[in-house]
Amino acid sequence: MSARFEFDLNRLAERLNPGRRDFLKTTAAGAGALAAGGLVNLGAVKEAQAFAYEPYPRDDELTTVVTSCAHNCGSRHVLVAHKKGDVIVRLSSDDGRYQADGAFGKDTFEEPQLRACLRGRSYRQRLYSAERLLYPMLRVGERGEGKFKRVSWDEALDYVASKMIEIKDKYGSTALLDQSYAGASYGVLHKSDQIEGLLGRFLGMFACRTNSWSVPSYQGTTTSSRWTFGTIKDGNEDDAYAHTKLMIMWGWNPAYTFHGGNTFYYMRMAKQKGCKFVLIDPQYTDSAAAYDAWWIPIKPNTDAAMMAGMAHHIFVNNLQDQAFIDKFCSGMDAATMPDWAKNTPNGQENFKDYILGTYDGVPKTPEWAEAICGVKAADIRKLAQMYATTRPAALKASWAPGRAEYGEQYNRMAAALQAMTGNIGVLGGCAEGVGKGWDAKAVAYPYDEYSNVWFASIKSDRWAHCVLNYPNVKREDIGLWPRQDKLDGVIPNIKGIFWQGSDWFNQLTNINKEIQAINKLELVVCMDSTITPSALYADVLFPIATHFERHDVALPWYKGHYYIHRPKVIQPLGESKTDFQVFTELAYRIGHKTGIGDAFGKAFNPKAGRNYFHHDDDVDEAYLRDWWHNQVMAGQGVTMPWETFKQHGIYKFVFKEPLVAFRKQIEKGVPFETPSGKIEILCSELAWIADWKKTRYGSHIPSIPKWIEPTEYLGGKIAEKYPFHLISPHPRHRTHSIFHNCSWLQEAFQQEVTINASDAKKLGIRTGDTVEIWNDRGGVVVPAYVTERLLPGVLVLHEGAWLDLDKEGWDRGGNPDFLTDDNPSPAGAFTYNNAQVRIRKTDKVHRPGWDQLATARSHVFRRDY
Amino acid sequence: MDQSKDRELIKAAVKRRKKEVYTPVVPEMQLGFVHNNVDCIGCRACEIACKDKNGLEAGPRFRRVMYVEGGTFPEVFAYKLNMSCNHCAEPACLPTCPTGAIFKRKQDGIVDIDSSLCIGCRKCEAACPYGAPQFMPNQNIVSKCNLCVDEIDAGRKPYCVMACMMRVLDIGPIDKILAKEWQTKAMAEFETPVRAVKNLADPELTKPSIAFIAHSKAKVE
Repeated sequence: MSARFEFDLNRLAERLNPGRRDFLKTTAAGAGALAAGGLVNLGAVKEAQAFAYEPYPRDDELTTVVTSCAHNCGSRHVLVAHKKGDVIVRLSSDDGRYQADGAFGKDTFEEPQLRACLRGRSYRQRLYSAERLLYPMLRVGERGEGKFKRVSWDEALDYVASKMIEIKDKYGSTALLDQSYAGASYGVLHKSDQIEGLLGRFLGMFACRTNSWSVPSYQGTTTSSRWTFGTIKDGNEDDAYAHTKLMIMWGWNPAYTFHGGNTFYYMRMAKQKGCKFVLIDPQYTDSAAAYDAWWIPIKPNTDAAMMAGMAHHIFVNNLQDQAFIDKFCSGMDAATMPDWAKNTPNGQENFKDYILGTYDGVPKTPEWAEAICGVKAADIRKLAQMYATTRPAALKASWAPGRAEYGEQYNRMAAALQAMTGNIGVLGGCAEGVGKGWDAKAVAYPYDEYSNVWFASIKSDRWAHCVLNYPNVKREDIGLWPRQDKLDGVIPNIKGIFWQGSDWFNQLTNINKEIQAINKLELVVCMDSTITPSALYADVLFPIATHFERHDVALPWYKGHYYIHRPKVIQPLGESKTDFQVFTELAYRIGHKTGIGDAFGKAFNPKAGRNYFHHDDDVDEAYLRDWWHNQVMAGQGVTMPWETFKQHGIYKFVFKEPLVAFRKQIEKGVPFETPSGKIEILCSELAWIADWKKTRYGSHIPSIPKWIEPTEYLGGKIAEKYPFHLISPHPRHRTHSIFHNCSWLQEAFQQEVTINASDAKKLGIRTGDTVEIWNDRGGVVVPAYVTERLLPGVLVLHEGAWLDLDKEGWDRGGNPDFLTDDNPSPAGAFTYNNAQVRIRKTDKVHRPGWDQLATARSHVFRRDY
Repeated sequence: MDQSKDRELIKAAVKRRKKEVYTPVVPEMQLGFVHNNVDCIGCRACEIACKDKNGLEAGPRFRRVMYVEGGTFPEVFAYKLNMSCNHCAEPACLPTCPTGAIFKRKQDGIVDIDSSLCIGCRKCEAACPYGAPQFMPNQNIVSKCNLCVDEIDAGRKPYCVMACMMRVLDIGPIDKILAKEWQTKAMAEFETPVRAVKNLADPELTKPSIAFIAHSKAKVE
């Protein structure tokens, strides 16, 4: 395949580059021809010339610096900055030149180009945006009002240091809530993250930190993967997808959300080789269109029921891979039940007997499933038959359906299907799940006994509930993580929040409740390069350097096997500093205020001195060089020296065979990382739980995958009052809330609610009408897009729009998290994808946050209903 | 009135006019685009790369990925049409230009506008059946895709092609693309490029230098 796809460089150069002299000659001839035609006689006035956009410089006249994108998505791609002086004039991407043995156009199966997406390509607009935060600021107005004054770094840092000490003294070691997230970076050195982030280590060393343990994106899925496989590394690398024969995309839209550098492209290769695609989703997505998939529209949050129906068909027709089940699974059927299970409080049932209805008298037949999920029983049978009889087949159970009440049950049910068909650990199969593939060396800064130290840890979406109800909060209400010491069960008394690389105020569920809660806090610190909606609710704004303005190495998170060097492309804008600089300086100041001198600062950043705040280059270089030598070269078999890597910009690993999760378990009999060493359809951990209130889950979870009826879905009682099911998937023109302020992206895609054509007709809604959507939690105002590509009864409103509240409490920006609930599933899954709502036409005005009149969207050929 | 006589007169006039006003440049080799309407995920990375390359504000869009959808739930379909300037063999824009700012390169058939000669009259914008010329309100001129001539002259490909994550957009000599003699990832071996798709101007009008892998619902005879 690679031979056919190899780009013929010489051929192109010969054909496409006839030289400057020829070019001048031909334009002269062109002008002559015109003159001879008699239309306009230009005479010798001026010859037409190429380069309409002079003085816009050509790439070859600019300084070229290889770097990468850096925002919170599952991928990481190359950005090549072309700069003049200290200004980035334009960006390009990987064209094959910036790697060992690179050449223009090199794009092989083993080392495909890492081409940036639309978001990455628009980075200049984010970098140089009007919303760029350039100076430290202190709030002077009310929270949310957006009134700040510029202050010196000295003043801002002293204020925060003093306030931190005061809060800790007054309220104890749980008073500061860590809401760091992956928005700032996924680099090895400058990292924002819930667990590995710089903030976690800083607050942990300060000995005042409440951690937020559930991950908004996929907590249902990670929990499921850990229970079932003992690890979240259940992912194949993306090239493995080129080898599958049947790809079932369950709620997965790789045309929008990128996991791995080239997942969508390898899937195209599979399609060219005859792979069949299926999409189970309320929407006919662009992924379905591009891969020509069989679309099975499903009611949101009923996926586990449909899967149970598939399992029933497979079991009763004896289509399961019984040899695989017997060898690798625990609790799939009566024969694979472990002996100890009968002694457990919660582990009496096996999966097959649940499906067959042995326990409750309800066989989970396709007809039973149809009544819940709306998919015809015949289609459920057909899909089950296809999946059980095609080898290898990939059931890719994405995260989105798991972002719902009992979302973990959907992911567990998917894992049961993957296991019963024997599609785990084989090339072309799939055990995802979380889907983490290749294991990058991810941390270049000190990651030690001080990292991720916490004194309380709660479900991330329960913070507002905790703050508003303190001290009358039960541990099970906030998913308090158990501890082995006297802090176990102690409800955190949260009085301050730190946001590092995080716009969580805009992104967590039930924003109106958050607004109530934040006014009870005494310190809110926002560290960002952009003035985000969260920033408007902060007391202190620290201007943080973007990844163009600091030294780091990018790594893909989730999938992809490569590193991309990220030099300091330009000097930090304004008075920006890196997170690492800010935390180091704060540590020194806190140390001096508390009488321990330099000890805190030195311990936090051992390679740096106090002057790090002003001179970070040598220290950052030292961390990164050590990381490359000690981890990448010593631990990953890389022979390329650090200096050479820096010259190239990209290091791409080449594997002998595609990396497939659990291959060694299946081929070599290595035990799975679960307590039983098997694929745990019956979860050992859950089986032994008697007192649920003392667990982080807070309430009962069955030990085997089961359909559990949620409160908010189309089949629930609530649908009588709120008849539409709103889902809030990821947009393609933002990474969550990042890039919302880029006009290029707003021009290409607007925030709008998608509604089915027959529903819209009943309500008198046409494409372009403004509508209001509301429930008991809040209301939003957005334009509508009417389509046949959506299941009736469902609304789609993409997450991440910047909140913009009016005086009556309507969000004119159209942020769906005014409608979502802050009550997560027991395993921690956020309920982003189940909110029952109503919708109607409105006279209220939507505020998109940019000048919509700047462009007409006439390029969109849309059907008029 | 004898309308048929009128029609004949008009036909004759049109014929005469065309001959008199403009003889298209016949390039030594005509470069053109190929786009796979089906495999395109519609991500618009090409569009944004183009805007960044050409320093465009919101408003003018040299490249436009158009979304087409149809059918009735649940039997629906969707595909993408992706166009910038088609660098036509007989560009409709070129003869409308009163200042001679529009020209066609002899060696590769690229149609470009010399912005120093453009007076922003927007006649070309009205003439183009594909919406390629874009009015730039801040500069009061019309601009459009010039196939990144600077990149072509440097032996590389335009920004949009190099931005395509799915590798469904490419350039090459258009006759070779249509004859399937040009190596490109934009199409599989079993796919055949076509010149015309539904809802698009008849290619006989301007002979655009673009080929498509068409969706089954977009095919025309």
